[in-house]
Amino acid sequence: MSDPDDRLGLRTYLTPEEAKEFHKLFMGSFLGFTAVAVVAHILVWVWRPWL
Amino acid sequence: MWRTWLIFDPRRALVALFIFLFVLALVIHFILLSTDTYNWLDGPNSAQGAMVVETTG
Repeated sequence: MSDPDDRLGLRTYLTPEEAKEFHKLFMGSFLGFTAVAVVAHILVWVWRPWL
Repeated sequence: MWRTWLIFDPRRALVALFIFLFVLALVIHFILLSTDTYNWLDGPNSAQGAMVVETTG
């Protein structure tokens, strides 16, 4: 089973498909976290600008 | 990018990330609380501030 993505040798127990699936969820959560952070910073700026 | 999860174990990575973000958030909130302009509880130059001025003369 010569998997092109297998050449790394370092393998967590994930298959490439699972890694891609996890990555999609991870990026979605990351973007959500960033959106909340941006909104929070905008609110604080409106309250007291720091520059 | 997805290959990251072939290298780093997602479960450990998530736990480490959550702990790191939590500690960072704590630090930032307490730094802000210690300032005058961003203390959202006592507000600017509160009693503690005045007391310091008194004692240091």
